[in-house]
Amino acid sequence: MSYRSYVGLEIHIQLATRTKVFCGCRAAFGDEPNTNICPVCTGYPGALPALNEEAIRKSYVVARALNCLLSPLCEFERKNYFYPDLPKNYQISQFASPLGRDGFLDLEFRKRRKRVRIRECHLEEDAGKMIHAGDQSLLDFNRAGTPLLEIVTEPDLEIGEEAEHLLQEFRRIVRHLGVCDGNMEEGSLRCDANVSVNVDGAGLGTKVEIKNMNSFRFVRKALDYEIDRQQDILERGGTIVQETRLWNENRDVSESMRVKESSNDYRYFPEPDLPPFRTDDAFLASVEASLVELPAERTARFVSQYGLQAAQAQFLCEERGIADFFEAAVAAGAQPSDAAVWLMGDVQKLLNRTGATLTESPLTPERLAKLLVLLGSGRIHGKLAKQTLEAVFTDDKDPDHIIAERGWEQITDPGAIGKIVDAVLAEQHEAVAQIRGGDDRPHGYLVGQVMRATSGRADPRLVQQVLGERLSLQFIQVLSFGGAISGTRRDDGVVVPGSLESLTRSLRDDPALPAGIRYDELDLGGFLSEEVTPRDWALLIRAIARHVAVGDTSGIVIATGTDTLSYTAALLSWLFGASLPIVLTASATTGDTAESRDNLRHAVQAAMNRTPGVTVVFGSRRYPAVNLKFERVTGESAETAFRTWNPGGVPEPGVGLWTNLQGATGSREPSQPGADLPDVEMLTERLEGAARRIFVAKVFPGMPAGALIALIDAGIRYFVLELYDTGTASVRETPFSLRHALEYAHQHDVTFFCTSQQEADVDFSTYVTSHDLWRGGAIPMGKLTTESVYARLLAILLTGAAGDGSDPKAVARMMESG
Amino acid sequence: MSASKTTGWHHLLETSADDYAEALRARDAAINGFLEIDTDRRRTPGGVSPPDDAPPDGAGPLAGLPLAVKDNIAVRAFQLSCASRILANHVAPYDATVVARLVAAGMVPVGKTNLDEFGMGSATEHSIAGPTNNPWDTDRVAGGSSGGSAAAVASGMVPLALGTDTGGSVRQPAAFCGIYGLKPTYGTLSRYGLVAYASSLEVAGLLSRELGMVRAAYEAASGVDSMDQTSVGLPDAQARPAAAVQRVAFLGGELGLDERTAQAYRRMREVAVGAGLTVEEVELATADAMMPAYYTIAAAEASANLARFNGVRYGERPIFAENPEALVRHARTEGFGAEVKLRVLLGTYVLRSGFQEQYYQRAQRVRTAIRRELASVFANHDLLILPVYPTVAFRHGETDLTAFQQKLADRFTTLANLTALPALSVPAGVYDGLPVGIQAMGPAFSEERLMRFAELVAAELPPERPPAYGVPLCDEIGSGGGA
Ligand SMILES: [Zn+2]
Repeated sequence: MSYRSYVGLEIHIQLATRTKVFCGCRAAFGDEPNTNICPVCTGYPGALPALNEEAIRKSYVVARALNCLLSPLCEFERKNYFYPDLPKNYQISQFASPLGRDGFLDLEFRKRRKRVRIRECHLEEDAGKMIHAGDQSLLDFNRAGTPLLEIVTEPDLEIGEEAEHLLQEFRRIVRHLGVCDGNMEEGSLRCDANVSVNVDGAGLGTKVEIKNMNSFRFVRKALDYEIDRQQDILERGGTIVQETRLWNENRDVSESMRVKESSNDYRYFPEPDLPPFRTDDAFLASVEASLVELPAERTARFVSQYGLQAAQAQFLCEERGIADFFEAAVAAGAQPSDAAVWLMGDVQKLLNRTGATLTESPLTPERLAKLLVLLGSGRIHGKLAKQTLEAVFTDDKDPDHIIAERGWEQITDPGAIGKIVDAVLAEQHEAVAQIRGGDDRPHGYLVGQVMRATSGRADPRLVQQVLGERLSLQFIQVLSFGGAISGTRRDDGVVVPGSLESLTRSLRDDPALPAGIRYDELDLGGFLSEEVTPRDWALLIRAIARHVAVGDTSGIVIATGTDTLSYTAALLSWLFGASLPIVLTASATTGDTAESRDNLRHAVQAAMNRTPGVTVVFGSRRYPAVNLKFERVTGESAETAFRTWNPGGVPEPGVGLWTNLQGATGSREPSQPGADLPDVEMLTERLEGAARRIFVAKVFPGMPAGALIALIDAGIRYFVLELYDTGTASVRETPFSLRHALEYAHQHDVTFFCTSQQEADVDFSTYVTSHDLWRGGAIPMGKLTTESVYARLLAILLTGAAGDGSDPKAVARMMESG
Repeated sequence: MSASKTTGWHHLLETSADDYAEALRARDAAINGFLEIDTDRRRTPGGVSPPDDAPPDGAGPLAGLPLAVKDNIAVRAFQLSCASRILANHVAPYDATVVARLVAAGMVPVGKTNLDEFGMGSATEHSIAGPTNNPWDTDRVAGGSSGGSAAAVASGMVPLALGTDTGGSVRQPAAFCGIYGLKPTYGTLSRYGLVAYASSLEVAGLLSRELGMVRAAYEAASGVDSMDQTSVGLPDAQARPAAAVQRVAFLGGELGLDERTAQAYRRMREVAVGAGLTVEEVELATADAMMPAYYTIAAAEASANLARFNGVRYGERPIFAENPEALVRHARTEGFGAEVKLRVLLGTYVLRSGFQEQYYQRAQRVRTAIRRELASVFANHDLLILPVYPTVAFRHGETDLTAFQQKLADRFTTLANLTALPALSVPAGVYDGLPVGIQAMGPAFSEERLMRFAELVAAELPPERPPAYGVPLCDEIGSGGGA
């Protein structure tokens, strides 16, 4: 039996107005009890309400932002009920004629786009608070009469996470509009819900109201709990009782508060003390003027206009102040991607440390732009840029002022650097001779000597360039990372791992490559591609990270094997993004063949063209690193071994997750380049830890749910699940379907990231079984391949991009933002 | 209305506040018009009127005049009991806007007057302080619910009093006591500080023997108040209905008047004709629907307005209660009188979901129909003249009129409340020892026209004083006479 759930929300927001909605008292949270009160808000005999214009305008602004029809006549009514915290024992509210109705909010959640209908928005006054102390009950009326806007959605939501998502989007909207701070813990944003479950196709079921959900997380948990509870009852042939239930956050269950035999009769009637509020043109114009670009639109614009990653755009648009700051910094000359990286990284760290908010900190958009321009033009380098930023916070001065004052300006004059390089070379006869003799190993040492001679102020790229010119060299780092390409074929025909030496030797002699190139070889182990371990990856990542940090190479070529190439390529791409040209290659045959030589040559040529980003060269073709599929074994003719799936769905290389581990400006380190890189042990440990929690599985007819459950019991927390088609699988009521595994996973906070066995766009929108998966909390990964999804998961867990990886929601968010 | 008659009041509080207080108490002993008396205008701290509030003596027509205020209107530092047990110990921390404005014009509140509990009644008999007696005949009621204010004025204890008029509560006691009672256009006197009974119907009203004083007080107290968003300013003089009276309509048909009232009504018509006015007769088609509509709306609003008196913040709280519900039940059972309970229950009944169409909304439609009918009357006539009440002041108890008959008898007065229009109760002579008042109603903002008509009547039928109270207190004290 297939079920459907219907969830509607009743959201209350306290409008951020200076005064209460019907009197002149301060509307403030957290003051001494009964200090912000007057005859009106305590219902004093004879006192009358007087509508606050700011509250009504802000209400209309929200209704407008939620695409509601705005009522030209806004009438108030009395809602009658006795409760000690309600001073008049009626609440001034709206009933027959709410200020806004029939609106909607467009959501995209788990690749499903949905229009959630807004039934109505109405303005009312809040009640006071009753505080129980021993056998006494005390009343605080500070909150009584603060303006409360209630937004009621139609039951268009289906699961807890989706409701949480809507609520968060709603919070972003009201914060952007500046009408509410959206704090659920302090109660400025409150949410009740109604839930019903019914057999699919049978319409709404019996409605149960859920209250006391005091955080976004509790909303998700309480709704999922309620949906499960109702579905269980229906499955056992029971009937749902119409009632109100309270979420008990300590016990993670809901408890029945009252059974609604007859609903409360609030005896609404028009409030005779308030004439209807009529909207006129001036008022409507002021409502329009208060509208701002909403976070969803703004996030999309940041991606399209500034080329930001979705995650970056989301971070910036979470707060209007940060988004405004970002755009002001860009307007003042900052590169958008730099500004985003700095705001998310170093600036955020400093704000966390100082406890300031961005808008009230000494950092202005102009100062950030100035700093980034100084950095971009090479007048300061990365480490000093960070120090300059800190100085802006402590000294409250402009960056150029700080740099001049402290003598931090970078040496960017090629002439000046040339002199220093010459002086160093003159002293280092031995190293120079070694390099000229073809041994490039002392290169890094020479760079270090130049940096030391300038107290770290020389521009490292310029040092590279000048040093290369003086020694007539261009450096390409060639990394040998297992695979047949560096192996040999034994006499019995079996391929065994080997080293790259013969290949690079042949590169030096290759007439098709320019003479000035110097190859630095690093052998990361002789193994076959299928044998790669987390430790091997750690070595590779560490080596690349060092080059990225030091900036001592113009490109990296990685020779590896075909079996795991799609995994390694995607992993590196997610990690390093567009930091350096990184080219992976492999061959179907051993290193001594013409195929291997050709592939390696093409890879070097690709690395030399200086386009940053990770790519794969195979045969005469070049592929993006993500969504590479090893489709067939072709023997000597390797041309069609690989294919890119969903080429339109391959993301452009961005900043790379590595920055989460390395800090925002890892690319330009000073005197001791790469000194603060994490070591191989730590990377290994993290990768192994991640690998222990991930499992890649493919659905197939007869798949036993029990096997997946056993894996969960064994510690697997993330599945990459290869479904059929656009995301289908069996969810029938049988042990040989995903059903029980999904339920078990849901209870254990285990996440399924779903890909397809076919070249498809997994979006769960087409089939009934997809819908069940979506409801079960599985996350569709769209056009990404299994290999790319697995690699991304590893990269996220390795770099701590989603914290320590223990919060599956944070991990899922990062996965979806790829 | 001539200035010489009122000069006695102007310096009274300045020169003999204590004597005045003593005389007030003495004279009120037989009337029971006051619930609280305090003539000391310098009650500080928290007193009603810091000395520098008032304009210099003689600066305005109201300067220095004592003011009695119905005890459902807030006067800072005076009690605000609404003649109810539930608010028995309640003291107002602020001034109602009408009080503040009259104080600003120089008037001095000297006491709070008796009423039917929360204004619900037409005899001032439903009061914790007992009934107020009519100065013309203390066996009879003073009318209600502003009976205390009317009796205080009629017996010469104060020159002017404030009342509230929800369905005739200013006009009917004024008629019973032989004085003027103005129920102004809804909204022109702020309701801020009036303990609400039926918000959409009630207004503050003025009671005095002197038309000039009614006029001056109305001028001083009216106008927009930011504390009451249903308040309205008076339109400019040229936008207001012209003050001149030419064509008047007398309500015709079977009116069910007692002999004295019928006689006064005929006399009024003669006066109008004699003054050269064009007199015609009209009947109202909506008359029968009026009382049910009025009681439905008034009770509905009352049920919500009185909900706040539940022992939590307002009202006598029991020392212990098991839970809030028990506390509320106890406080309301003990605190409210029978008439209030009746109306609250009635209001709760008519507002039940599923029954609103049958009662509340139907009443609102009737109200709209009455408004339309009155508009058509005033399209052709300057004023509508009609009785205030079908009888003269009746005797205490239910010997003359049952409670139900009393409610039905409000049919002439509720018209002005349902339509928000101004109406003035005008003394129309004394018949067999009892005064009769006749009502003049006009279109919105026609208060001046009503007073012109009253002047015209006064030329023929000047207001008289009750025989037992022929000398107002100011003159009694001024002439050295004691009580
Ligand atoms: Zn207040």
